[in-house]
Amino acid sequence: MSKPSKKMTLYRKHNLTGWLFLAPGALLILFMSFVPMFRALMLSFMTGVGASMKNCGLLNYTRMFKDTVFIQSIKNTFFYLIIQVPLMLIFALILASILNNRNLRCKGLFRTMIFLPCATSLVAYAVIFRSLFANNGIVNLVLMKLGILDAPYSFLTNMWSARIVIIIALLWRWTGYNMVFYLAGLQNIEYSVYEAAKIDGASAVQSFFRITVPLLKPTILLTAIMSTNGTLQLFDESVNLTDGGPANASITMSHYIYNMSFKYVPNFGYAAAMSFLILILVAILAFMQMKVGDKRD
Amino acid sequence: MIKFKRFLMYAFLCVVSFFSVFPLYWMVSAATNKSAEVISGRLVPGTYFIQNFKALMANQNVGRALGNSFKYAIILTLVSLVISSLAGYGFEIYHDKAKDMVMNIILLAMMVPFVATMIPLFQMFSTAGWLNSTIGFILPTISTPFLIMMFRQSARSFPHDIMEAARIDGLSEIRIFFQMFIPTMRSTYAAAMTITFMNAWNSYLWPKVIMTDATSQTMPMVVANLTQGYVTDYGMLMLAVLICTLPTAIVFFCLQNAFAEGITGAVK
Amino acid sequence: MKRKILAAVLASTMILSLVGCGGGSADSAGTADTGAAADSGAAADTGAAADTGAADSGDAAAAGGETLTVWCWDPAFNMNAMYEAEKVYQKDHPDFKLNVIETPWEDVQTKITTAAASGDLSTLPDIVLMQDNAFQKNVISYPDAFVDLTNSGIDFSQFAAGKAGYSIVNGANYGVPFDNGAVVGCYRTDVLEQAGLTVDDFTDITWDQYIENGKKVLDATGKPLISMQAGECDLIMMMLQSAGASLFNEDGTANIVDNDTLKAVMETYKALKDSGVLVEVNSWDEYVGSFVSGDVAGTVNGCWILASIQTAEDQAGNWAITNMPSLVGVSSATNYSNNGGSSWAVTANCQNTDLAFDFLASTFAGSTELYDNILPSGALATWAPAGDSDAYGVGNDFFGGDAVSAKIVEYSTKVPSNITGVYYYEARDAVATAITNYINGSDLETELQTAADTVNFNMGQ
Repeated sequence: MSKPSKKMTLYRKHNLTGWLFLAPGALLILFMSFVPMFRALMLSFMTGVGASMKNCGLLNYTRMFKDTVFIQSIKNTFFYLIIQVPLMLIFALILASILNNRNLRCKGLFRTMIFLPCATSLVAYAVIFRSLFANNGIVNLVLMKLGILDAPYSFLTNMWSARIVIIIALLWRWTGYNMVFYLAGLQNIEYSVYEAAKIDGASAVQSFFRITVPLLKPTILLTAIMSTNGTLQLFDESVNLTDGGPANASITMSHYIYNMSFKYVPNFGYAAAMSFLILILVAILAFMQMKVGDKRD
Repeated sequence: MIKFKRFLMYAFLCVVSFFSVFPLYWMVSAATNKSAEVISGRLVPGTYFIQNFKALMANQNVGRALGNSFKYAIILTLVSLVISSLAGYGFEIYHDKAKDMVMNIILLAMMVPFVATMIPLFQMFSTAGWLNSTIGFILPTISTPFLIMMFRQSARSFPHDIMEAARIDGLSEIRIFFQMFIPTMRSTYAAAMTITFMNAWNSYLWPKVIMTDATSQTMPMVVANLTQGYVTDYGMLMLAVLICTLPTAIVFFCLQNAFAEGITGAVK
Repeated sequence: MKRKILAAVLASTMILSLVGCGGGSADSAGTADTGAAADSGAAADTGAAADTGAADSGDAAAAGGETLTVWCWDPAFNMNAMYEAEKVYQKDHPDFKLNVIETPWEDVQTKITTAAASGDLSTLPDIVLMQDNAFQKNVISYPDAFVDLTNSGIDFSQFAAGKAGYSIVNGANYGVPFDNGAVVGCYRTDVLEQAGLTVDDFTDITWDQYIENGKKVLDATGKPLISMQAGECDLIMMMLQSAGASLFNEDGTANIVDNDTLKAVMETYKALKDSGVLVEVNSWDEYVGSFVSGDVAGTVNGCWILASIQTAEDQAGNWAITNMPSLVGVSSATNYSNNGGSSWAVTANCQNTDLAFDFLASTFAGSTELYDNILPSGALATWAPAGDSDAYGVGNDFFGGDAVSAKIVEYSTKVPSNITGVYYYEARDAVATAITNYINGSDLETELQTAADTVNFNMGQ
C-alpha cells in the first residue's frame, strides 16, 4: 500500500468505469443465457415423458454412458473436430495472408468469392452438396471420366465417405468466414513490418510464421474457441446432408439431442443432461486454449 | 522466379475461388431451370427464370418476408454492435483478474446447445409477455459471448498511449470510446457487422418458435416453406434461396474494403 | 438507446425474481404471481406491442369468435384444402373466416413441443395438421394440449378404418383424417414394354415375382424398377403394414426380435437390393430425380408420390399404377398398405371448440363438394362418401386415361390397420440402422437384437 492515494482512486474510478461498460452486455447474457441454463440444469436431474417430470438425481448423467447412439455421436463429433478445425484455421490463415498482399490484383473479387459460401443459406447448400455427391452427381461423373471409378460410388451412404463429405462441406462453408477475422486482425499489423522483414531477406514463409502468426494470436485464439464450440455443437450438416446416416455413422451430439427433444418422445431431462456434457467438453478445450493463447505481453 | 511465384499465387486463388463459387453458380443456374431439370442435374442456365419468379411470387409473400428480415437484421445488428463492443472494450481496457474471470464465465454461455435452453427461455418470455413481439425476437441474441470476445481480442491492439493522451486532454472515458476507439477499430466493426448481419438474417429456430403470425415471416422461413410440400419445385426454391443469399453477399461486398483494405496509419 | 437498455435490464430483473419464485420446476407458469409479472414485463417495454402489429395475432377468440387459425404446410395441397373448406363453410356461415398460417411440419412439431413443455399453449392455433405417425407420441406426451373429438358430433365411422386408426389414442379420436397415403405401385409402361411386360404382370403379385420381372426389365433396358432413399425405411414400414404387422405389440412393448414378418420384410428388402432391381440413392431429391429423369422404371410409395411423378411432363401417358407386391410366406400378407398422410387435430388453445367441431364436421367429415373441389390438387379422400362421387371416376391422361383416383380410394379401404406405437420414430430409426448394417453383410438376428435394445433403452426412462 505504498502507492500514492491519488493513483488509487483513479484506479478505482477506472475499475468502476470498466464494470459500467460491460454491464449491459454481461447482464443480458446473464438473463438470456445463464438463467435458462440454470433451469436446464435443474431439468437435467429430472425424468419423465412430456410434461410430467419427477426427480431422478444423476440418472440422466449415468444413462448417457450406456447409450450406444450417443457414444457413437461423441466419437463422430470428435472426429470432425480433430480433422476439420485445424485444417480450416490453417487454410483461412494462409488465404488471409495472401489476400492481405498489397500488390495483389482483384483482391475484392477474390475475397468476396471466398466469403460467399458462408452467406449461402443452409437449404441451398444442403441441396447443392447432396446433388454434387449423388450417384449421378458431378463428383461421380468426374471421377468416372478420369478412370478412378468404374461405377458410381454412393458417397453419402458409406460410413467414411459420408463423414468426409461432411468435413468437406464444413471446410467449404466456414473457411471464408474465419478468413474475415484474420483479414480484420491483419489491419492492426503495420505493413512496414513486412517490408522491413523483406529487406532483411526473410522469405514469405518466414514472415508468415515470425510476424503474422504471433501478432494474430488474439484473433487465432478467438477463432479456435469459436470453431471448437461450433463443431462440438454441429447440427445443420448432420441433419441436412446425411441425416446422421448411414446407420448413425455421421450423427452429431447436437443432432441426437435435437431428436431426443423434438423427433422422439420428448425427454427434456435427458436432452439437458447431454447438453451439459457438451458444455463440460467445450469448456475444458476452451480453457486449454485460453491457457496457451490468452497471455498479454 | 518472382513471376512464377505470382503465377502460382493467382492459380491457387483461382482454384479456391472456383470451388467456392461453383455451388453458387449452380444455384443461380438452377433458378433459371425447371424443377425436373434441376434434379436431373442440368448445369447450364435455362429460360425458366420468369416462370420461376412468377410462381414464387404467387406462392409466397416474398416482399413482406424481405421487409421483416431487413427490419430484424438491421435493428439487431446495430443494437448488438454497440452493446457488445462496449462490453468487449470494458473487459480489455480496464482488465483485471475479476474481469478476466467474468469473461471466462461469459464464454460458458455459448457452450450449451440452444435446443436445451430454448424451452426455459420460452417459458421466461411467456411470463414476461414477450411472445410474438420484436423484443422477443431480438433480445436473446443482442449480446453474444462471441462478439464480446471478438471486441475484447481486438481491443488488445488499441494503443494505450493515445488513451493516456486523451485522458490528459480531459476527454471522458465514454467519449474516448466513441471518439477514439470506434473510428480506430473500423475494420473490426465492419467485420463484426458483416457477421452479425449474416447471423441475424439467417436466424431461424428461435424466431420460428416465438413468432406466431403469418405477418412476421422472414426470408429463411419462406425458403423453409418451399421445401415442405409433397412436391418440391426446385427451380422456384433455388430462386428463393438466391434472393435470400443476395443481401448478405451485398453487405459483405460493401463492407469488405472497410475491414480488409486497411486504414493503416489511423492508429499511430 | 439508453432507454431501451434500461427497459431491457428492468424487465430482465423481473424475470429473475420470477425464476426465483418458480424454483425450476418444469411447470412454473400459471401460478398466481405470473400474471402480475407479465403485466409489468410488458410495461417495461412500452414499444414492443406497437411495433410488431400484435393486434392481429393468431388468437382466434380475440377476433370475435368466427375465426379459426390453422397451421398446415403445403400451399398446393393441404393449405389449398383448407381454403376450399373455408369457402364451403362460408355458404352457411357468411361471417366465418380462416386464418391459415403456413408452417412446415417440423416447425409445427417444434412449436407444439415448446409450447406444451412450457405450459403456455397461447401460441398454438385452433386447428393443426399433424402427421399420422406423430399422433400417438404427441397426445400421450402432452394430453392437455389436444381436444378429444370422440363426442364432437363428427362421424368417424365414415372414414377408412386403417386411416382413422392413426389418430385414435387410448380409444379416443383426436384427429379428423385428411389425406390418403394408400400405397401404389407405379410403373413406366414404355420401359416395361421393352422387356415384354405390361402393368398386369405387376398386379396382385408377390415380391418374388416382382424381383423376377425386375430382372427382365434390368436385362432388357438396364434400368432398375425402383429406387429408395438409403437409411430411410419407408419401404420396410410399407411392407410391414401390408401384412398388418408393426414394430410394437398391443401393450406398447417393442416387437422386433421375434417378429417373423419383420424378418421376412428385411430379407425381401435385401433380396431386392442384391438383385439390382432396387437401387439405393442418397437423398430425397435424388429419389425423386431418379424417376423424373427416367433412370428408374417405377416406384412404390404413398399415392401422394403421383404429384411428383407428374412433374415429368415429357413422360405423360407412359405411366400406370397398380397395387403393391405382397410378402411371401406371411399368412396375413396383402397387396395394400399405407405410407404417410395426416389428420386435423384441435388444440386446447381453441376457445371456440363448438365452431371448430362444426366446421370440421361439415367440411372434411361431411362435404362431398369439398372433396370434389380439392381432387384436382391431388388430395384424395379417406372419407368414404367422397369416393362415390363422379369426380373420382374421371380418367387421368398422364396415366393412360386410367381412373386413378377411384382406384386409390378402393385400395385405401383394403389397407390393414396396424399399431403405430408411441415410440414410432425411435423404432423406425433403429430399424433403419439395422437394415443398413444387414445389407452390408451383418447378421440379421444380431442387428434386430441391437435395434430392440436401442428401442427398449429409449423406452426405459
